[in-house]
Amino acid sequence: MITVTINGKDIKLEKPVTILEAARTAGIEIPTLCYHESLELYGGCRLCLVEVEKMPKLQTACTLYVTDGMVVRTESEQIADARRGILEFLLINHPLDCPYCDKAGECDLQDLVEKYGPTAGRFAEGKRKHPESFDDPIIVRNMERCVMCTRCVRMCDGVQGDSAIAVTNRGSHSFIEPFSGGRYNCEYCGNCLTVCPVGAIMSRLHRHSYRAWLVETEVNTVCSYCGVGCSMVIQVRNNSINRVVPRFGLGINNGLLCVRGRFGYDYVGNEQRIKSPLVKKGGKLEPVTWNEAFNTVADRLKALRERYGGSALAGIASGRCTNEENYVFQKLMRCGLGTNNIDSSARLGYSGAQRYLENIFGQGVTANPIYGIANSEAILIVGGDPTAINPILGLQIRTASRNGARVITIGYAPGLERFNSIGLKPRIFTEGILLSGILCEILKIKPFTGENQTLESVIKGLSLRPAREIAEICRLAEDDIRKAAEAICNVSSISIVIGQDIIQRSNGNRNLFMLSSIGYMLNARMTLLSERPNEQGTIDMGCLPDMLPGGRPLEIETFRKRYEGLAGTEIPSGPGLTLMEMVEAAEAGQIKAMYIMGENPVFNLPDSNAVKKALGSLEFLVVQDIFLSETAKIADVVLPALAWSEKEGTYTNLERRMQHVRRAVDIQGMEDWRIISEIGKRLEVSMPYNSSEDIMAEMVRVSPLHTGLTYEDVDKGNALWPYKGEPLRAEMPSLSLSDENIIADKGKLYLMVRRPLFHSGTLSRRSYALNNICSEPYLRISRAVAERLSVKDGDVLKVSTVKGSLQVKTKVDISLNDSAVLLTNNFEGMGAFSLLGYKLDPVTKAPGIEGTEVTIEKGKPR
Amino acid sequence: METILLKNIENPNSADIDEYIKAGGYRSLQKAIEMQPKAIIDEVKKSGLRGRGGAGFPTGMKWTFASSDPKTPRYLLCNADEGEPGTFKDRPILEKNPHLLIEGMAIAGYAIGAEYGYIYLRGEYPGAKDILDTAIRQAYDRGLLGDNILGRAVRFHLSVHQGAGAYICGEETALIESLEGERGQPRIKPPFPVNVGAWSKPTVINNVETLSNIPYIIETGAEAYSKIGSRDCPGPKLYCVSGHVERPGVYELPMGINLRDIIYTHAGGIRGGEKLKAVIPGGVSTPILPPDKIDCPMDFVNMPKHGSMLGSGAVMVFDDTVCLVKVCYRALRFFDHESCGKCTPCREGTGWLSNILGRIEHGKGRDGDIELLLDVAGNMLGKTFCPLGDGAASVVQNFIRHFRPEFEGHIRDAGCRLQN
Ligand SMILES: Cc1cc2nc3c(=O)[nH]c(=O)nc-3n(C[C@H](O)[C@H](O)[C@H](O)COP(=O)(O)O)c2cc1C
Ligand code: SF4
Ligand code: SF4
Ligand code: SF4
Ligand code: FES
Repeated sequence: MITVTINGKDIKLEKPVTILEAARTAGIEIPTLCYHESLELYGGCRLCLVEVEKMPKLQTACTLYVTDGMVVRTESEQIADARRGILEFLLINHPLDCPYCDKAGECDLQDLVEKYGPTAGRFAEGKRKHPESFDDPIIVRNMERCVMCTRCVRMCDGVQGDSAIAVTNRGSHSFIEPFSGGRYNCEYCGNCLTVCPVGAIMSRLHRHSYRAWLVETEVNTVCSYCGVGCSMVIQVRNNSINRVVPRFGLGINNGLLCVRGRFGYDYVGNEQRIKSPLVKKGGKLEPVTWNEAFNTVADRLKALRERYGGSALAGIASGRCTNEENYVFQKLMRCGLGTNNIDSSARLGYSGAQRYLENIFGQGVTANPIYGIANSEAILIVGGDPTAINPILGLQIRTASRNGARVITIGYAPGLERFNSIGLKPRIFTEGILLSGILCEILKIKPFTGENQTLESVIKGLSLRPAREIAEICRLAEDDIRKAAEAICNVSSISIVIGQDIIQRSNGNRNLFMLSSIGYMLNARMTLLSERPNEQGTIDMGCLPDMLPGGRPLEIETFRKRYEGLAGTEIPSGPGLTLMEMVEAAEAGQIKAMYIMGENPVFNLPDSNAVKKALGSLEFLVVQDIFLSETAKIADVVLPALAWSEKEGTYTNLERRMQHVRRAVDIQGMEDWRIISEIGKRLEVSMPYNSSEDIMAEMVRVSPLHTGLTYEDVDKGNALWPYKGEPLRAEMPSLSLSDENIIADKGKLYLMVRRPLFHSGTLSRRSYALNNICSEPYLRISRAVAERLSVKDGDVLKVSTVKGSLQVKTKVDISLNDSAVLLTNNFEGMGAFSLLGYKLDPVTKAPGIEGTEVTIEKGKPR
Repeated sequence: METILLKNIENPNSADIDEYIKAGGYRSLQKAIEMQPKAIIDEVKKSGLRGRGGAGFPTGMKWTFASSDPKTPRYLLCNADEGEPGTFKDRPILEKNPHLLIEGMAIAGYAIGAEYGYIYLRGEYPGAKDILDTAIRQAYDRGLLGDNILGRAVRFHLSVHQGAGAYICGEETALIESLEGERGQPRIKPPFPVNVGAWSKPTVINNVETLSNIPYIIETGAEAYSKIGSRDCPGPKLYCVSGHVERPGVYELPMGINLRDIIYTHAGGIRGGEKLKAVIPGGVSTPILPPDKIDCPMDFVNMPKHGSMLGSGAVMVFDDTVCLVKVCYRALRFFDHESCGKCTPCREGTGWLSNILGRIEHGKGRDGDIELLLDVAGNMLGKTFCPLGDGAASVVQNFIRHFRPEFEGHIRDAGCRLQN
């Protein structure tokens, strides 16, 4: 126990902390400027000077650790003089343009000067001049206002790990500058903006549109982009969003955001939002009244059901909609239309993979706290770059790496290249074989525990290749494989992070089996990356062809009966079709009508031209969305929904934490759940909801997993796995395992999907901000390929596969495998999925995307 | 007196390893590696050697701290940044007697258990770089550096790292940052480099001259060594005298020699028989002394009692023709230029002081400027992150303390009388 006396008050501390922290625990205020609780200590501004007995000089409270018996004074004439002096120094070169500066009203310097500063200036020399930099579309730098606290640099370096900015020059000519010069070449997380205490680094997007004191309301909500579920505060004025900011101490992201969360929310205000329901009349979508739209949908669906039966109808739910909406959606499909043909885009990886893992380990196996990743001693990452797909989760890996964790990446993960201890880049499509090699090495080190006999017997039955053979197939050094295995074997806390690329294989289940086995042998925590904010919610709400809400298998009669009892309707007992199967069935004429909520399959599914054809051949297609997407354009009825910031509800993130999404602005229109309820009522389904909370109340009665859960629990942060319900135990009926699938190396190039940081699905293309950062797709090629074709960044290339061809600009990517080329699937008419075919994984039913050969040639300049 | 540090430098080939060995060089290293490391440290402790980089910290103590920290590897850094204006005492060692330093470092490395050493060399000494590189190569060739020094299981590797011209990189923690490839700015202390230094490992940083004392201490023993110079502060010392003396240059003299003797006996007195106006005894950062205050023993212990400091031992002598406002202005421009920018008072204060001084020097001084200077300096003093800023503030205070009328004259007369 340490006792320190500050201003005569005795403070007892368990462990040594800085004087500043000790003072704060006792409610004693010490002014600071360069200090920030999330950043490395610096001690530069000198504002926090205090008197410490027995020390001749004033000491900085933010850097000096207390010792037992230390006596500190934080207020005295000497200290007041020192503070006044420091603030005077900070002002001599400061432009004092507060009336014009966006930071005014929330500027630390302004507040400090008001409280502790001099009343008048004595500086008679000319101030330092440095023109404001508008070289970047997003970030404005005004270095005349900079107080050189380096908080931005410490944020960028030490927390974000991007190391994009630095102090240049020296002394009073020091400035903050990106290494790339005027325009930033960075991850655009904007976290430097958050920590800049003055108006020196500001958002250009919000320039002069914002005054701190004019904010009318602040709404705590959750980001609408990915499965991390970052908390954020929406600042509202005049019923419109002023800004979105993170808060330190709030949510899993604790003050941080990624580029999509911070800047990308502006899609909600895009003028291309659909404003009225549309019904196709004479081949054209025409605006109609809500009533007409509802009646059309209900009448047509009812007629089609009567004619073809429920199995000819299908619904696609959305990982971008709330739990409440997804719950209501599956209820409409099951109870109103009599079909289990319900799935969502989570099928592209997340849901099938989770199901696979849960079969082995039991429900909730992937519900591991995101912050736990930062505390891991070793992390194995495979199948995607977490710093792009789930950026804030990616930061946890960077933090772990800084703390000395062994980080092992397999495949393309450019955002972790400076953070991994071993980066294995096996030959394209051989990641799964590499995993089997790592497993083989682990088995040499780790004994079986006998805990899961079934799994162990399957592992024992595998004929695993020796490392030498694996090394040859994967084109890696044998030693590296061994080292990777050893690195994860010799520690006690391990995380495995799994991305879609490893799941989207026709034998993806085999890859998952290898990962499960590695995870089992090492007792690792497993995390699935998730591209949508509520993919988990679609699963938990029963938007699956074979699962009822709460993850209850439809085929088990007791669960089905319970559901039917509560719903008051019978539902079909056999499982429905999965996502890609629905599309195939539509093409085959077996599915006649589809209801799609908040998803854009015509663009977002592989072989998208075929998808378009299949959906175009439906007798009836309803699309509910906020934009007239590629899919909406071919619909018979389009129902405009309210967006994320305009409605209430909950999301469940990838660690299965339920969080509250709150209405920030009041817009005329209907939430997805309200639209569905209106249709449900017309189909005689009981949907007596007046609010999303009403739906939750019903859902927690239906889902044995969520029993008794309320919004209050969610708001208190208590809606964590396993909630208040009962998770299902693992059943492990039989473990089916696809064969190895080695694609021979024929020196060909293969097209793969790139999952970018700056965009997400087709939503982000409506974000002015994100388009300013990245406005078009690039075909990423390796340096060797670039040299072979003698092309450079920006050259237009023609990319062709058996499915079609595109003209697209190129970018050389040094992280890339020589036989892979990457293209994103975000930009209209330029999606990778238009060039890629697929083959279903028989177990997870995820589309396997592999072996699509491409040819690239120099194209015509566009 | 026999020279120890500048031994043999009149020999035009003094930097060559054969000449050095011929003159008895590397015998200490041979002797040292037959001793226990701890015995070496004890000997250095007993010798009373204090660091010659400016602060006078007891060297043996520093070595003990680092060698008793269990973290490995440990590092030995030689501070050859020699940036303090007026200082050029390390230069003759670097250029004329490089093997003395190398031998000292090999011994020090062995003593503290460091297998890697770096000489952080001032960027403005390109000549020394080549000489050191050659000397180091020679030492490797003779088995005096490397994995098996003198055929024993003693390992010490040495290389030169060139600075890029920042004074602050002479400050030990900024030096480490710079060596690591970071921006040259001081680090928070504690932890001190002896525990958390280069690459966060225990690190000893010593000045060139400090390390060059080691071979003699080992060879002749602490007792003999401690008989040289002052009692509290023994050993030979290099004094570099510049300015208005008859014979400017580097003088190896015993610690504690009287400042007046350095100027009048060794450096030949004031040039052209002019009148002495002021002396800065230990580099620009040390307080200036008027002529009536120069009877003081030049060592770390006694100088503070006489109103100044030994600093780097750079004696700068000004005769009557010199405008001290200009000197002060010039010094502050130096500090302004060299401030690293980390802390507010130094970053902004040095510039402000230099602005005011420039104004006064150029005849644009105003009433109240002297009070303003003192006030600004007062707002800096004791509040800066490292001693650079403090040094800048104290220069202004000391110049005004001793030569206030000259500043007042500049303001009153709107310029400098001496220059008109
Ligand atoms: C601003 C500043 C500049 C310094 N420059 C030098 C230098 O050029 N050479 C040097 O040896 N020490 C310099 N020092 C002192 C070093 O920080 C350190 O005390 C010294 O290298 C320790 O070596 P010693 O114990 O052998 O004296 C400087 C200190 C400060 C604060
Ligand atoms: S830009 Fe802002 S955060 Fe960065 S150093 Fe300047 S004042 Fe500090
Ligand atoms: S990491 Fe995901 S949830 Fe967090 S801000 Fe980024 S996109 Fe939003
Ligand atoms: S006093 Fe401050 S600004 Fe000046 S050199 Fe030292 S740390 Fe840098
Ligand atoms: S807050 Fe302590 S020095 Fe800046």
